[in-house]
Amino acid sequence: MSLALIVAMWACFAAGLYLALSRDLLRIVVGLALLGSGVNLLLLAAGRVGSAQPAIVAAGQRALGDAANPVPQALMLTAVVIGFALMCYAFVLVVTLLRRTGSEDALALRAAEPPPIEAIKPPLPARDVDIGRTP
Amino acid sequence: MQLSERALWCALPLLALGLVAHALTSHPLPMAAGIDWIPALGVSLSFRIDGLSALMLLMITGIGSAVFIYAGGYMHGHPGQRRLYALLSLFMLAMLVAVTADDLFVLFMAWEITSVLSFMLVGFEHERGSSRRAAQQAMLVTGGGGLAMLAGFTTLAMTMGTSSISTIVERLPSTEPTTALTVAMLLVIVGAFTKSAQWPFHFWLPNAMSAPTPVSAYLHSATMVKLGVYLLGRFDPGFGGWPLWSSVLLASGSITAVWGMLLALRERDLKRILAWSTVATLGTLVMLVGLRGEGAAAAVGALLLAHALYKAPLFFVAGNIDHGTGTRIIDELGGLRRAMPWTALIAALAGLSMAGLPMSFGYVAKDVIYEAKGAVDLLGVIKGANTIFGAIAVAVAGVAAVRVFWSAPRAGVTPSNAHEVGPSLLLPPLVLALCGLLLGIAPVYAESLLDAASFAMMPGTDPVHVRLTSLAALDLKHVAASLGVTLGIGALVYRYWDPLHRRLQRPMGRLLRYSSASYYDKLLGNLPRAAAALTRRLQHGALPGYMALCAGAMTLAVVGLMAAGLPSMAMPTFDGRAGPLGACALIVLGALSAALLRERMALMMGVGLVGYGSALLFVASGAPDVALTQFAVETVFVIVIAALLLAFRRARLERVQEPRWRPGSLLLSALFATAMTALLLVAVAVPFDDTLTRWYGENSVPAAHGHNVVNVILVDFRAIDTLVESFVVLLSFLAAAALLERLPQRPAEGATRRVMLDVVAPWLYALILGVAALALLRGHDEPGGGFVGGLLAVTATTLWAVVHGRDAARRRLPLGSPTALAALGVLLTVLAGLPALALGQPFMTHQWVDLGPWPLSTVLLFDLGVLLAVWGALGAYALALIDADIGPRVDEATP
Repeated sequence: MSLALIVAMWACFAAGLYLALSRDLLRIVVGLALLGSGVNLLLLAAGRVGSAQPAIVAAGQRALGDAANPVPQALMLTAVVIGFALMCYAFVLVVTLLRRTGSEDALALRAAEPPPIEAIKPPLPARDVDIGRTP
Repeated sequence: MQLSERALWCALPLLALGLVAHALTSHPLPMAAGIDWIPALGVSLSFRIDGLSALMLLMITGIGSAVFIYAGGYMHGHPGQRRLYALLSLFMLAMLVAVTADDLFVLFMAWEITSVLSFMLVGFEHERGSSRRAAQQAMLVTGGGGLAMLAGFTTLAMTMGTSSISTIVERLPSTEPTTALTVAMLLVIVGAFTKSAQWPFHFWLPNAMSAPTPVSAYLHSATMVKLGVYLLGRFDPGFGGWPLWSSVLLASGSITAVWGMLLALRERDLKRILAWSTVATLGTLVMLVGLRGEGAAAAVGALLLAHALYKAPLFFVAGNIDHGTGTRIIDELGGLRRAMPWTALIAALAGLSMAGLPMSFGYVAKDVIYEAKGAVDLLGVIKGANTIFGAIAVAVAGVAAVRVFWSAPRAGVTPSNAHEVGPSLLLPPLVLALCGLLLGIAPVYAESLLDAASFAMMPGTDPVHVRLTSLAALDLKHVAASLGVTLGIGALVYRYWDPLHRRLQRPMGRLLRYSSASYYDKLLGNLPRAAAALTRRLQHGALPGYMALCAGAMTLAVVGLMAAGLPSMAMPTFDGRAGPLGACALIVLGALSAALLRERMALMMGVGLVGYGSALLFVASGAPDVALTQFAVETVFVIVIAALLLAFRRARLERVQEPRWRPGSLLLSALFATAMTALLLVAVAVPFDDTLTRWYGENSVPAAHGHNVVNVILVDFRAIDTLVESFVVLLSFLAAAALLERLPQRPAEGATRRVMLDVVAPWLYALILGVAALALLRGHDEPGGGFVGGLLAVTATTLWAVVHGRDAARRRLPLGSPTALAALGVLLTVLAGLPALALGQPFMTHQWVDLGPWPLSTVLLFDLGVLLAVWGALGAYALALIDADIGPRVDEATP
């Protein structure tokens, strides 16, 4: 179990979640992408990293000799492709939201909340707005 | 309601009474019958009639008949009379099942049905708010007790291995009192206490007096509230020897008896006075059940019968007074004997029994109780409690019988409209009161019944022959001794009823602030407030907060699971090879820069570094296919992010100012990552089972004719998974397309020619597509495959879009539309599986045909389909996002 791999996975998960907890919509999506990368590393590690030989049967042989584990690789391939589709879908959502609300702030997404007259759920306290817009 | 219909309704309980009487006289007790109901749970519909059940059955059907006849007259002309009769009939049926059930869960079902019917009957006048509240209170208290009882029953059934009551009661005396059994016992006690209005669950009964009088007389004095006592009596042979059982019952029963009677002194409504005295009598009954000794069981039976025979008529009297004068407040009533002579007679007879004066069955019952108490060593407190109970019972009887009918009125006159009520309102209580008189004079008629009842509650001993002193054998001195004290005190209480009432108002009022009734009210009031507070805390509408909650819960779950087992973890070792080390360093660098740098560009850079670092790691770990895919994906991803950043900048959106260090999020992220890493280390510590790996390694060439095992797994062994995956990718784009339609596109840029790129682009495009085709063709035996090829093709399309714009890139695609291309790809993957079906093999069994040096197969078709699907769908995404136009903001109608 390579220490470097463990550290890399830890960094991906920590950074990914840190970004996903942000208020900036773009950072949230990027955070999810990082979490996905972390999961790929998790899959790689769980399949036991041993030999660095690609999982290709040598010419003339009929069985795989000493090589890397092909099973997690198949999973990772699928994960990479679907992860990319998922991230793109998330970006489409972000773009649509930005057109609707004109703000990159996740706290501005209040369309599903009841009107502030409800006694049960008072509105959030006013959030700090960046007054100077970038030219 | 027509007389004939009333007669039909009244026939029901009379019929039941007849059946019960016939059954009891023609068969010896106990009678048992049953059928299997849920064999898997061991529950059967079994019934058993022993002495206690027989007593209850007679009470239910006998008093039921009286109530039905009374209700015919009392509710005459009321629009809901039929509903009342229907509910009462259902209630009677439920009670009959409850007292004869021999299975814990059948008993529970009948118990709950009586609770529900009581709710509907107490809330009969549902237009009145007070009725609704009283019904709700009764339901919540008895329902809550029922739930506790269910828990107790289930524990009992599981511990004893059977749900048959008679078997359990037989086995209990010889079983060790384990914790589980003790808890079960206490839960059953709680259930019985809520039903029989014992302290601290007593407060619902007087409020249930909102029900019409027939209901009060039936449910809340004679039958339903006795159900708790019945349950305790049923389990007494089993739990009787356990000291906890006796102490709880004795304590609670005595407290209820005294407290109920004291609270009766505070009331001015006749029905409520009677209700509190019922609570007190129930307390005495519970106390008697808890009493050890031979006479106690007989005393329970006697008091059950006596109470039913005098309390029901007294309630009927209260109802008659209500009908005859329009009020029940004792301050406004007096001297009614002239206007309502028959009612006065009934009240006198019933009052005699309640006070326990000779010539009434009440006296006989008191005698038996006195003997039972004398036979056992009792705490002085309990004896005192019983004396107080008896004394105030005398006073209550005096109020109900003497004061209302004989005394001169205090304030105000006898209500001028006072008149006697009709025969159907007089006959039933008269019959019941006369029964009490008859049994008081010649109690021998009740002896065999009480015999059987007491034997049921104390089996195993010699049948206690209940000796009931008949009138003839009365010993005057004995009478004087046993009666003297209670009668004396009772007379005093009666004389000073009003002053006592006034004196007790304030101190009792202060005490009642801490009573269980006030806690009930506080609980009900605070429940909505607590729910609102919880909603405010948990559902605040802030997305980062929700995310934190999810991540936090997941971390807790993982940590909790591992802490529960404390499994061993594999220790990571330091691997000095340069390749993986460098790659991991890149990954770490990328992750940290994406998270911590404030510039937006850093996001792009960080993600890119992580992606390329991962790809390099895959190369160094022997995963070439994955590495190629990752390289291509990351390239397109970075281009997409860059395009989006440009679009954001153009749109002049409202930015978010966020501090770089968010300590809470930092801590949560670190914990989450640590939990996941720990999980991985635990998983890796388990010895690796390489069966699957070896199987794939050995069968890849012989069965699938492929040397690239990863590719073989994807397109042959797990081909259907890959088919579904391509379909999912297409589907996700179709879902996004609906959103993208509403996005306008940037108008095409003017023709600024970038010479270098324009010249190189077509060659690069062709080269990349050629490599993609090569990857496709050689994928089965060497690194490559449909996914790699598809993603390389996406790279080519992205390149063309960057150079010449989205529409140009779209036109250069085969079929001119990325969606069509993806659909074609999915179609090809499905088609690749069909030849197998034509040959009678399972779907997606790949077919191989040898054509000279190169074998042709459906695998190639499948891989081509995957390539086209990936190219089309992911290419469509890339094209849509590269040229997205975000601002200026358009006010669309938000939902």
